[in-house]
Order: sequence, then structure tokens, then C-alpha cells
Amino acid sequence: MHRDRVSPNNQESAETHQADENTDRNRLRLLEADGYQEAVRRVIVLARLQDLLAWGRKNSLWPFNFGLSCCYIEMATSLTSRYDIARFGSEVVRGSPRQADVIVIAGTVFRKMAPIIKRLYEQMMEPRWVISMGSCANSGGMYDVYSVVQGVDKFLPVDVYVPGCPPAPHTLMEGLLLLQEAVGSERRPLSWVLGPEHIKRPILPARRDLARESRQQARTFPGMDTVAWYSSKDQGPR
Amino acid sequence: MMHDLPILDELRLRFGKDSAQIEETRDDIPTISTNKASVLPLLRFLKEDTDQPYRMLFDMTAIDERNRTTRPMDASNEFTAVYTLFSFDRNQDLRVKVPLASDDLLLPSITSIWPSANWYEREIWDMFGIRFNGHPYLRRLLMPKSWEGHPLRKDHPARATEMTPYELEEEDEQTEQDLLKFSPEEWGMQRTHDQVEYMFLNLGPAHTGTHGILRLVVQLAGEQIVDIVPDIGFHHRAAEKMGERQTWHTYIPYTDRIDYLGGVMNELPYLLAVERLAGIRVPARAQVIRVMLAELFRIASHLVWYGTFAQDVGQLSPVFYMFTDRERVFHIIEAITGGRMHPGWFRIGGVAHDLPQGWEHLVREFLEYLPPRLNEYDDLVLGNRIFQARTKGVGRYTTQEAMDWGVTGPGLRATGFSWDFRKTQPYSGYEQFDFEVPTATNGDCYDRGLVRVEEMRQSLRIIEQCLNQMPEGPTKADHALTTPPDKARTLHDIETLIQHFLAVSWGPRIPAGEVMAKVEATKGCNAYYLISDGAPWPYRVRIRTPSFPHIQMVPSISKGHLLSDLLAILGSVDFVLADVDR
Repeated sequence: MHRDRVSPNNQESAETHQADENTDRNRLRLLEADGYQEAVRRVIVLARLQDLLAWGRKNSLWPFNFGLSCCYIEMATSLTSRYDIARFGSEVVRGSPRQADVIVIAGTVFRKMAPIIKRLYEQMMEPRWVISMGSCANSGGMYDVYSVVQGVDKFLPVDVYVPGCPPAPHTLMEGLLLLQEAVGSERRPLSWVLGPEHIKRPILPARRDLARESRQQARTFPGMDTVAWYSSKDQGPR
Repeated sequence: MMHDLPILDELRLRFGKDSAQIEETRDDIPTISTNKASVLPLLRFLKEDTDQPYRMLFDMTAIDERNRTTRPMDASNEFTAVYTLFSFDRNQDLRVKVPLASDDLLLPSITSIWPSANWYEREIWDMFGIRFNGHPYLRRLLMPKSWEGHPLRKDHPARATEMTPYELEEEDEQTEQDLLKFSPEEWGMQRTHDQVEYMFLNLGPAHTGTHGILRLVVQLAGEQIVDIVPDIGFHHRAAEKMGERQTWHTYIPYTDRIDYLGGVMNELPYLLAVERLAGIRVPARAQVIRVMLAELFRIASHLVWYGTFAQDVGQLSPVFYMFTDRERVFHIIEAITGGRMHPGWFRIGGVAHDLPQGWEHLVREFLEYLPPRLNEYDDLVLGNRIFQARTKGVGRYTTQEAMDWGVTGPGLRATGFSWDFRKTQPYSGYEQFDFEVPTATNGDCYDRGLVRVEEMRQSLRIIEQCLNQMPEGPTKADHALTTPPDKARTLHDIETLIQHFLAVSWGPRIPAGEVMAKVEATKGCNAYYLISDGAPWPYRVRIRTPSFPHIQMVPSISKGHLLSDLLAILGSVDFVLADVDR
């Protein structure tokens, strides 16, 4: 199954149905002409259950309402109008870890807080994912200091690392899209009695490696002496 | 000049000649050194018995003196406790120091004089291991219960990478969770009273209403709040210890992250203190740029407060409007500095770069844009009947209580007391600006909101003046200790090259001395107390933040209210956890 076909197809078939419902003749003609296979393609979706589930998970990653420090403000900003994370199905912020799919470790992981973060993560239901947001959560960042754990991956499995201090909202959203890509292509066992029990997860390349070539090609950089854009009116959402 | 202060004569007369030895500092704050025996009566006298009393315990901290190289020959004490008092009547600070020997780290508690001393003393115990006799609950405040050692002592490791790598096994997690269990008896609280069985409700540290990782244990009789025990320190990022190892220049980005909604506003008090130590005069253009950016951040911070406060009391849509407006502020900030929340844009002696061409256009557009929006929000939020019902008469306190608890900023002005450090102790050229200090009368949640909303309008006025009267000239002082050092001074000969290399790699050596500088930050008065040893980094950095005393006050103003009012109170106090725990 092609994942992207599910929703547009349903809509299309509804329109076709309305236009052609006048006569049976039309319907027959459609079936006879180039159309039998086409008609079937329009109204029936064939997918493996595994793929269908992955598609569903991918497009409805509900985040846990959880923040640690500065990064949380930018995470909250990604929910608001300018950035509107609802476009990617992740606006359903859950107050309880049991209802959430993804926990964004937004901020510094403090030694005093780490056992609590671990407990909250354990309270999330499988399948669950972790986005590490910002330098502190990635590695301790600029806080190599006694009260800070040097990266949340010291005690949690991290799926996506988002760089920045703090990452701008659109950077977090790029991280979310990467997670979606991983979740969509991940294959999980349907049941403990069906098939192999392990999770098949693709290895995604590091963004740094992908961007290296284009970055090396860059020759012009916006200077600090002029404002690159003049009016917020004609600028639109950035 | 300082020696002639009448208060010092008064103290000598009353407590004997040795009770108040004058110490030299680089700021104009009178500093006296006293002994353990007279500190309690002396402080009580200063607060209660003198004319024009020192009503506020502005700050309280300690210094580990053991590694200090530039001290008077006769000084032999290993630790020093520092009390900073503030008198509104005199518009003056007073610093009282008490030397302590390492085998006798004990002081009388002053919680009977100022209730706000409670947390300061616990913090000092936690960070330095100095005990306070007569303190009701002297236990760790910022570090976890299981912590060993006192982090701000010079022999405590600073870096996480100097310590055993962090591991969190299942049993560690369980131990820590057990240590977090709340026991009312430990805090002298009853489980039942008059046949009422109290409920102890744990709020946080991961809770949406606490605006960050703050934990409150609420003692409830039904829905009514009997008492609250706040548990802080979950956000302790060791900013003060960090100051002892970063160079003067490379510490600037850390200040941004103290009140993380205040951005460059945080850099200002730190740099004012450094520049004072170094004797740098900042050129006019740099001062005005600083003021403009700081006021933009005041608006950005207040907009976050406005939206989240409305959300706290049940209005879900305003936050979307206010965050959109905040993006407009960041639009300007980004164009000028390249950053959003933490630009790290100010430098010792000025700012990083001149304003880009076209900045006027962006600022003017914003000045036209925001006022009608604010008017709209008046109807949307402040005028809303439910909003008013949730906030009016809730969480009230008087000016006197505010001073006792160390409250500054909008929280103080909402009680009807007009006090703004931009007016009373102008810095960075604020005396040249025309603006008003908004106040309210009742000191409740609604009034604190009212003051902040009006403050945004005043900030717009200041920004407009910056825009219309931006002076020409350099954006960095012509001084050898500014950072990064002037490129024009290098490449003459090998000597200038060496100097430049050292100044870039190590940064400047700021002359030895002590200084405190304060600003009217977004949440109240933020001050940096710096001690220099003449090294390329500070010997001690003390950050006096407004949110710390404000959160300490929450239990006393919440008693008797309903649980739902607590969230309105927390929202109206407007704190940032990084500003509480540092």
C-alpha cells in the first residue's frame, strides 16, 4: 500500500459516486471501459495491517505535556498559531503520561529531576518515543556542572535529537517530522503469537551528514549589517 | 564619604566601636563587618528601631574565602556571611558581613526578624554548610536530600565530568522516589485537627499549572488551603558555581538563562557590575540599544505571562494571541541579534554589533501594531467577568508584607507602593527617558495583572523614545578591558598581538574588588553581586533573583483560599523556575 493514498482516495471516490449516481448505465460503462481496475482502486484500500497501523501512529503522535526549562517555552510556541504543530497531528497535548505517545525532553535534565523523568517515561504506554530537545537534553550542553545529567540518553532511549539552545519552534517541528518518518517505516509485531517479536526500525542517517555537501557549497551568507526582511506584513509565516 | 554615613555612627554608638567595621567595596553600598554576637540585635535594630529603617532583607548569601588571594592581611576567617538590606526611605542598601571560622560555622537565625530569611538560610546551609541556630526547618533547599557535600564550597567539584558518571539504576530511582515522599510530621504539620482530616495533595514537579518544575505539597481541608510546603531545586542549574569557572566574557550567555523569558535583560545587571569593577563607561548609543532590547524583552516576557495567566484561570484562547505578538517581538530581536530567547548580545563595554540597516522600520511597525492589540486584550481578558471573579480579592498582600518577604517589581507596585529601580536608582541612562510607574491599590492577583499590562504600554513608550532619539556613535567603549578586544589595537607589533591573543583566549582580568548592580527586571529586582580576585574569572558570583522570594511568599498568601485559587496566585506571581533555583 502506498501510505499517502488512504485519505485522498476516500474523498475522490465520494465525489465520483455523487456525479455518477444518476444512472446505472454510467456505472456500468465505468466498469467496462478503462475502468474496472480504476474503480476498484478508487474505492478499496488494500494494506497490510502493520502498514496501516504504522501510518496511523505516524500521523497522530500525541506529546506529553512535559517541560523542564527554557526549551519548553519554545515547545509551547510550536503549538501556537505562527507555527501550528496541529498541521502534523501533534497538537493533542496530553496531561497524563498514560495517554501520550511521545515525550519531548524539553530542557535541562537535572540530577534532582532525573528519577522523576524516568518514572514518567515508565508510565507511558508502549509504543512510546523520546525526542531530546536542545543541547542540555542532548548532552548537558553548556551545563557541564554538578547538578546536571550530561544528556537524557544516560537513562532514557532517545529517538531524535534536536539541536539548539533552545531550538526554534520550527527546528523542533523538523525533529517531529523525522520522528514521523521513523515511526511510519517502523514495523512492530501485531501480537505475541504472530510473526517475529522484535521491532524493525530503520536506521536514519544523521542530518549533519546529509547537509554537509550543500553546506560546503554555500558561498553567500547574510551579513549582520542589514535586516534581511523589511516588513513582517509581507513576510508571512516563516 | 561612606564613613560619614549617620547610620554607621548610630550603630557604633549603640553596639560599640568594634561592632561595625567599615569595609571598602567598589560600589557605593556601605559595607560593615560585624561579629556573630551582635548580628542579631544589630539587624533587628536596623529593621525595627532606627529612623528610616531598612525594611527589606534584599539578599543573603555567603562566601567561601579559602582560595581568595586579594584580602587584607589580618583577615583569617574561612567563610563570610553577607546580609544585604534595603531601605526604601533612604533609597539605600546596606551590606552587613559576618566573618566565620571553618570550625565554627554557626550563626543565629534571623527568621524572627524577616520571614524571607527562611529560604536564604536554608540555601546557605545547603550550599556552604553554615548552620543557623533557631531556624525552624534547616534542611537542604536546592540539592536533593541524598546529596553529599556543599556545592558552593571551593573544594566541591564544579563539573559533572569531574564526578562519577551519572547512572540511574532501578534501585536508585526507587531510593530517590522514597526520599521525595512527603511526611507532614517532618514539617510540624498535623494530619487531623478538630475532627477535620487534612488531605495532602502533591502538585508537581511535573504539573501544568506550576509553570515549570516546582513542587508544592498542599495541606487541604476539603477544598480549602491550610498550608503549603514548596519544594524547589528541581531547576538548580548551578549558575553561581558556573561563574567561578567561566571567564568574565564567556559567562554572559549563562546570565540569559537565569530568567529565561527575560533574555538580554539578565545580561544587564551582570555587565553593569563588571563595568563598574573595570571602570568602563558605556557609550550612549550602546546604552540606548541595551535599553531598547531590554524593554522589548520585558514586553515578550509579560506577553507570555499574560497568555498563560489567562489560561491558568480558564481562558484558553488568549495565549494564542499573545504568543503571536511575542513572535513579533522576536522578529525584531532576531533581525538585530540573530537569536530568539537567549541572544547573548551585550558585551563588556557595549553590545556585540551595531544595529542593522532597516531596524527602525521593524521597530516602528511593532510600535504601531501592539497598542491596539493590547486594547483588545483589555476587553478579552481584564474585562472578562469570569477572569475578574477568579482574580479579584485573591492572593492579597499589603505593602508591609511585600517588604517583609522581599517582594519587588510588579508585585510590590500592585500594593500601591510606587517603586521602580529604573526611576529610583537609574542605570544605563534610564533617567533620560520619559515614562510612568504604574501602580494599583489592592495587591491582589487582578492588580498584579493590571500593573503588568500597563507596564507593557510604558515599555512601548520607552522603545519609541529609543527609536526617535537613537544617538550616533560607537557601540563599544574604548577601553582595554572590553570584550572582544578591539581589533584595531592589534597587529602593530608583537606586544599588541600578544595582548590581543590573551584578551581573546582568556578574556580580560577585571580588577579586584566587590560590587553589586541591580536592575528592574521583568519579574522584579535582579542583582549581581560579584567578587573579583583580579583573575580572568570571578571569584564569586551571587545572583539575587526576584522569583526566589516571590515563590517563598506563596504559602502565606494562599492560606484560606480554595485550591483553584492557588493556580491563579501562581500565575499572578509570574515566576520562572530558573530564576528561583538558578
